[in-house]
Amino acid sequence: MTQDDLIIADPKMRAEGVDVFYGEKQAIKDVSIDVGTDLVTAFIGPSGCGKSTFLRSLNRMNDTVASARVTGRIELDGEDIYAPSMDVVQLRARVGMVFQKPNPFPKSIYDNVAYGSRIHGLAANKADLDVIVERALTRAGLWDEVKDRLNESGTALSGGQQQRLCIARAIAVDPEVILMDEPCSALDPIATAKIEELIHELRGKYAIVIVTHNMQQAARVSQRTAFFHLGTLVEYGKTTDIFTNPKQERTKDYITGRYG
Amino acid sequence: MTFNPAALLLLILGLALIGWLAGRARSAMLAGRTGTKLHSRPQYHGWYVALWLFAPAAIFLAVWTSVSPALITNEVLTSEAAKDLPAFGFERGAILSDARGVAQGRQAAVRLPAAAPLVRPYAEATREYAWIGIAAMLALGLAGGLYAFTRIRPDFRARTRVERIVMGVLLLASLVAILTTFGIVLSLLFESIRFFRLVPATELLFGTNWNPQSGAPQPGTFGGIPLFWGTVLIGAIIAMIVAIPIGMMTAVYLTQYAAPTVRKWVKPCLEILAGVPTVVYGYFAALTVAPALREFAVMLGIPNASTESALAAGIVMGVMIIPFVSSMADDSINAVPQAMRDGSLALGATPNETIRQVLIPAALPGVMGGILLAVSRAIGETMIVVMAAGLSANLTANPFASVTTVTAQIVKLLTGDQEFDSAKTLAAFALGLVLFLVTLLLNIVALRVVKKYREAYE
Amino acid sequence: MNSETAPTDWKGRAMQARIARRYAAERRFKALGLGAVLLSGAFLAFLLVVMVGNGARGFTYTHVAVPVDFRTTPLAIDPARLSDPDADQAIAGAGLSDIVAFAADEALGDGGSALISENAWKEVRSAIKADPDLLKRRTVFELPASSAIDIAAKEGAKGELGARVDALERDGRLSTGIHWPFFRNADATDPAVAGIWGALKGSVLTIVIAFLIAFPTGVLAALYLEEYAPKNRWTDLIEVSINNLAAVPSIIFGLLALAVFINWFGLCQASALVGGLTLALMTMPVIVIAARNAIKAVPPSIRDAALGVGASPVQVVFHHVLPLALPGILTGTIIGMARALGETAPLLLIGMRAFIGDVPNGICAPSTVLPMQIFLWSDEVDRGFVEKTSAAIIVLLIVLLSMNALAIYLRNKFEKRW
Repeated sequence: MTQDDLIIADPKMRAEGVDVFYGEKQAIKDVSIDVGTDLVTAFIGPSGCGKSTFLRSLNRMNDTVASARVTGRIELDGEDIYAPSMDVVQLRARVGMVFQKPNPFPKSIYDNVAYGSRIHGLAANKADLDVIVERALTRAGLWDEVKDRLNESGTALSGGQQQRLCIARAIAVDPEVILMDEPCSALDPIATAKIEELIHELRGKYAIVIVTHNMQQAARVSQRTAFFHLGTLVEYGKTTDIFTNPKQERTKDYITGRYG
Repeated sequence: MTFNPAALLLLILGLALIGWLAGRARSAMLAGRTGTKLHSRPQYHGWYVALWLFAPAAIFLAVWTSVSPALITNEVLTSEAAKDLPAFGFERGAILSDARGVAQGRQAAVRLPAAAPLVRPYAEATREYAWIGIAAMLALGLAGGLYAFTRIRPDFRARTRVERIVMGVLLLASLVAILTTFGIVLSLLFESIRFFRLVPATELLFGTNWNPQSGAPQPGTFGGIPLFWGTVLIGAIIAMIVAIPIGMMTAVYLTQYAAPTVRKWVKPCLEILAGVPTVVYGYFAALTVAPALREFAVMLGIPNASTESALAAGIVMGVMIIPFVSSMADDSINAVPQAMRDGSLALGATPNETIRQVLIPAALPGVMGGILLAVSRAIGETMIVVMAAGLSANLTANPFASVTTVTAQIVKLLTGDQEFDSAKTLAAFALGLVLFLVTLLLNIVALRVVKKYREAYE
Repeated sequence: MNSETAPTDWKGRAMQARIARRYAAERRFKALGLGAVLLSGAFLAFLLVVMVGNGARGFTYTHVAVPVDFRTTPLAIDPARLSDPDADQAIAGAGLSDIVAFAADEALGDGGSALISENAWKEVRSAIKADPDLLKRRTVFELPASSAIDIAAKEGAKGELGARVDALERDGRLSTGIHWPFFRNADATDPAVAGIWGALKGSVLTIVIAFLIAFPTGVLAALYLEEYAPKNRWTDLIEVSINNLAAVPSIIFGLLALAVFINWFGLCQASALVGGLTLALMTMPVIVIAARNAIKAVPPSIRDAALGVGASPVQVVFHHVLPLALPGILTGTIIGMARALGETAPLLLIGMRAFIGDVPNGICAPSTVLPMQIFLWSDEVDRGFVEKTSAAIIVLLIVLLSMNALAIYLRNKFEKRW
């Protein structure tokens, strides 16, 4: 694999020789990759290729699976996130995550967004919290739609709104990286378009990694694309290069729809 | 010659078997002779005949078994020898049952001299009715069997007929539940109405003095408030104070923290705790917990400390309920989607924050439903309170004092030598009605809540 | 866009202290959970230890060696009558109890006859019936001690009683052995001869009747509701009834049985028949619910496959669904039966709390059940019954635990085969 022509001057996260095992089964084999600070990075590949698994090891969500084991080195700003000194609670606050299916808590819209700030103690008082909630909802493009009904339950929103609420919830903790695990797979095309628009707007404020099985989406929203297959990273490069001029035969086959 | 239902049942089962064989053979033979294909396979024809033979005979047997003793007694009473019998009461019944015992061979000789002349009429009547019964039963069974047998033809839809009967039987089986419910409601209502004719319902529900006496009901002695309070104190307050925190925390630990091996060992242990019979808990409460608590109370200088304290019964009842609460909470927490938990953890919440602020609020309706069911179970629990809580109806909030409960009083009222119609006996049914209605309400609300909650996450 | 705030300072001291506090809360919470589990375990262990500690001694009994010499105190009875059916009455009439009491006084000193059980002579009677030659010589019988002596020998005692026991011990007259009457007899007022066999047999009869009624009814009802029932108001009513019956307090079933079976139908009071009927009504909803879950777990593909080859709906259910669901149904049934076996409250109301000194010989005979025997003994004043009660509890728990273990084993073995 060649990374010569990749220009990631300032990597936010970098992985080196990462293997992930579920019990006996190896889900990820020797993956090394850099994630740029101001970029949207897309992970693509056929289902079961390990892209989501790898994403979940970037904020140690694999810790919640008893049989999962991660080896190799993953750094955030040069710090090993699997080092004993790394605090997983802080790590996840700095590396936020948005899931495949919208998962708002059965609380009010306000409480959903305020949840992270409250547990991390980011707001000194109610006024601060109001500011944080409003800013997060504004950034997630939801403020205008919900500002009059902040006390309604988050689960009462539409699917697309719920997913933007979950993005707002992640933003409210002021993370440095946002991981998105197929965030549009449960949404209709209009809601998907809104989320993609949102990703455009968030670019530059956060390092964003998005897993998607939708190649057009990857082409639309990302600047860097990594193609995973059978647990290995086959090719990583500028999105335009991957889609117009893939170096690997397997990437080409996938892009052109031979399998997947 | 006596009428022995068990032996007769065997007899008609044997006849039904013969009918089955005959039906099967005939259908096969007919098919062979006419060369046509049978609509149903031979054994269905067999079943058809057997059912037609068995069902009428069995139904008659059931009816005859229940009515013939009364018919026999009537016959005896019209005989010459019955003229000297006392007209009413206990003695008359005793003489009759004595004579019946000898006539039907259950005892060797009469115990009451007055019964001796009745033995012969009894024996004769018994024999007579046994013959009538057996003959009628066989006639009905054979008629049914013959009718079915003659209907067998190759194109006869025996399978459809048999399956229709099977469906009928299935429907009947499921009606037993409704019958039981109606039986409970009607028997409780019927006896309660008789009670409320003697004692006004308002007294039972709002009176504060419980001290029922034998004989004619005295006003002001059937006040149920002390019992209701005792039931609530033991079942809904003390037991829940023990069971809810321990049960909830056990469920939380087992679902969220425990390693799979720990879970594998602890769950059966909880099931054992749930499988211990209540009489054992009651004995444990009375033998070990109650004396210890009394000593503790005396040490603290609490007045009215009793060895039959509400606290002892309540604590042990709480222990009994722990597995129930824990398994309901376990189910509810498990029903919360994993995504909820992931969402919270991904924001950097600790497991404890996730559990307390996301999982438990999300599981709350289910947990509340479970707690309501637990309360309903606790207030209906009988043996622990009968053995450990005592029978004195005190209206006190002192948990070291003795209180009594609805269930304990039902047992007490029904286990003396009262006439069945006395106010005390009827009061037990009225208390039973109150208990039934309260637990029914709790159950319906709880099951609704739990069902709604399940649907919300499906 | 509104103004940017400074990025969160995760390394700051305030934040570090906050995180330390959160982790401390986490540890406390986890410890609390572990504590709750341990507390439940401790309750169970404590209960079992108390019962076993008290009850283990109930399986043994103290015997006193008493020589009886029939040459000096002859039993006036014709040896030929010893094989008659009424030999028991004949021997009792000949005054054997006085002879044994006299022998005890002789051998053990003043008040010696009070040291052996008042029923001890019945043991001698059985021995004589087995071997009439005993009447011609002097024999040393190991007779059951009185309840007070038994307790004193097992637990130690002070005062006069203690001295008496010490003396007997010194003379080598005391021995302890398995208390066979406990397993052979029915209830009695004397702990020396009281046993659980009557109650055990009553329990078996009751449970068999309950099973014979509740199992077929429950399974058939579950099949109907799950496989055939149309969705209408009637089936809703049946569903609601079943769910509620499963949660109705057991004592209500006792009231139902008292009003219907005994007062209406006049069925035999205090019998295994009525007890079994009562428990059947109580257990049936539990079986229906368990059976419905087991039937629901059979995948629809199996029904489709059978229907596809032309089976009728009844054949589908009885040939395919029911056999596949049977392990699950059995598991639920065993648990329901175990619960019924430990049930006491409803049986209290139908007269099964009476003192029954005979082993029941039929389903209509007055009988009692094991939990009821425990309840009755727990009320006895005689201290000898304390350990008998616990011993009976041990027997009951062993039976129930084996049933539950069987159910758990079945469940694990047949869980999710498809």
